[in-house]
Amino acid sequence: MPDRAHSRHVRRSRLIPIWALLLGAFIVAAIGSVPYYAGNDSYVLLLLGKFLCFAIFALSIDLIWGFAGILSLGQAVYFGMGAYFVALSLKINYAMEHPTRYGSKFPDFMEWNGLKELPGFMTPLISTPVAVICALIIPTLLAFIFGVITFKRQIYGVYCAVITLAEALILQEFIIEYQAYLGGFNGITDYGNFVGAPFLWLILAISVAFFILARLITHSRIGTVLKAIRDNDVRAEFMGYNVANYRIFVFCVSAFMAATAGAMYAAWVGIVSFLDAGPLLSVEGVIWTAVGGRATLIGPFLGAFLVRGLEFVLSGSWFANYWQFFMGVLFIAVVLWIPDGLVGTIANWLRRRRRGSIAQIRAEEDRIAHDQQRDWEPAGAAKSGEEVV
Amino acid sequence: MSQALISQVLIGVSVAAILAIAAIGLAVIFGVAGVINMAHGQFIMVGAYTAAVVGQLGGNTFIAIPVAFIVVAAVGLVVERGVIQFLYERPLETLLATWGVGIILEVVMKAIFGPELYYVGAPRVLDGGIRIIGRLPYPYYRLFLIGCAIAMIAATFWLIYRTNFGLKVRAVRRNRAMSGCLGIDTARIDMLIFMYGSGLAGIAGAILAPIKSVSTTMGFTYAVGSYMVLVLGGVGNLLGVPTGAFLIGQGETLIAYKYNAVIGELLVFIAIVIAIRIFPRGIFGYYERR
Repeated sequence: MPDRAHSRHVRRSRLIPIWALLLGAFIVAAIGSVPYYAGNDSYVLLLLGKFLCFAIFALSIDLIWGFAGILSLGQAVYFGMGAYFVALSLKINYAMEHPTRYGSKFPDFMEWNGLKELPGFMTPLISTPVAVICALIIPTLLAFIFGVITFKRQIYGVYCAVITLAEALILQEFIIEYQAYLGGFNGITDYGNFVGAPFLWLILAISVAFFILARLITHSRIGTVLKAIRDNDVRAEFMGYNVANYRIFVFCVSAFMAATAGAMYAAWVGIVSFLDAGPLLSVEGVIWTAVGGRATLIGPFLGAFLVRGLEFVLSGSWFANYWQFFMGVLFIAVVLWIPDGLVGTIANWLRRRRRGSIAQIRAEEDRIAHDQQRDWEPAGAAKSGEEVV
Repeated sequence: MSQALISQVLIGVSVAAILAIAAIGLAVIFGVAGVINMAHGQFIMVGAYTAAVVGQLGGNTFIAIPVAFIVVAAVGLVVERGVIQFLYERPLETLLATWGVGIILEVVMKAIFGPELYYVGAPRVLDGGIRIIGRLPYPYYRLFLIGCAIAMIAATFWLIYRTNFGLKVRAVRRNRAMSGCLGIDTARIDMLIFMYGSGLAGIAGAILAPIKSVSTTMGFTYAVGSYMVLVLGGVGNLLGVPTGAFLIGQGETLIAYKYNAVIGELLVFIAIVIAIRIFPRGIFGYYERR
């Protein structure tokens, strides 16, 4: 295609550029081969799978916060629900094969809390497929209901953040209160885990799939509308888009991702606790996203690995007592000095190097924006399936 | 039965008073100054520790209240000048930064006072209680809480709606640029109102210290409760604070009486979400033209 400066053709970018594809394949191969040189049950392997789950969790936050402007401080609700369904199912099955000291065949924490048998409403969880379907569908449904209630009435921004935060706090208290059914303060432990090469590859495959899904969503027409809503929701509404429905859609996708991450996390680590469903994890996920780079898809992965990795390295040293302090400083520093995150800052810097002065960049961005504004054109609008930058 | 019900309602009133005391500082910071302060719970915690220190030195709650006001207002000054003043254009990021401030406050207080719990006694004057109904006494301290809640709301109302300073605060909130043009020092107003709100959080900590053991993590539930009060009551009007606090306090107490506390919180939360579907900006919220 001719590349004239002011031509009106739509600039299309590949879904994934060649270099990124090669780099991604290299990284995936590197992670996938860890079991071979690090041993099949090493601690590094455990951490790697854990971090990948957290990275998916951060990606789910990035999808709603970075691309749609919905700041949810309760994303761990979906993560935790996914984790608890899977953990409960695994625990029940484990208990059936390994009777407790008194010979009963249901989870030990229920026995300690005075239950005589498995509660009736939990019997469907004996079947693993049912548990997995519950773990993925129920959080998504909850997100849908929540979205319909709030977004349809233009409740977002701070209100959404506060309400989701309260949601996470209440789920956490609920888990602690219902110790007999959900393990309470001790969490659900001791049900074996799936640490090993095959499950790592599953986590890796789902990470890649979600990354591509996120890329598809953000680089499609829906993604463009979502970014418009993020930047100016009133204008998007006036242009005829149903802002609430777009928000609900992306919120559900994000909840689904978080629930999947939680389900895999529970099976991988072999222990879940109320902390995995509480406000703290939610906010930490937001900060991973912010450190890595909001509104970039690599950012959440990078942020989760960096912050979690740093936490792991530092918590073993003399610094352990001050780790929390460092987290607090990190929150403030990221917001004040690198609001675009690491990836965003580097990308801006590269763009500036490539394009020269600020004035040139502005002119270029204006031109791109002009090229992309196609909504008023009756003819020549992008056909469905065409990609816009 | 009716006796039990009435005593539950009375307990609900004191729970509402606690919520209102915790929320009034936030109503100033969030509702009037427009800052989303996630460190509010930690400000309350600092106030409670101040009361504990005053108690160790031989003072009581009446002395602790002004001291906590001054100490936490100073903390608020540092936070506003150090962090928040750069973020007035980016409200949602203020949320993250103040969350960081909250973490730092918790770590610092833990480093100073250690991980153990502190207990603060109620003043001698307020020991005992009166018998309103039946044989259960209604503690004087709960009456004191209700009085404090009313006094704090009245004082704030007077400051915001009846003084020259309050007029300037409201002007800056409505139209910052125009207020600046008219000669109001907007940065100074922001700073002072944030200090006042922080100080109120400190007072809340000092008043609430005797009814709960003082620990570094005590603040978070108060902060979330305060936000719920404001979400339900609305931030546009100070009347939202007592209204929201009363509804939430009564609801939680009555359901907790029938089932348990967590079910109470859960059902009240669901009720709040449904309520804001009907009143998207809270019961007393004004609809901003945007």
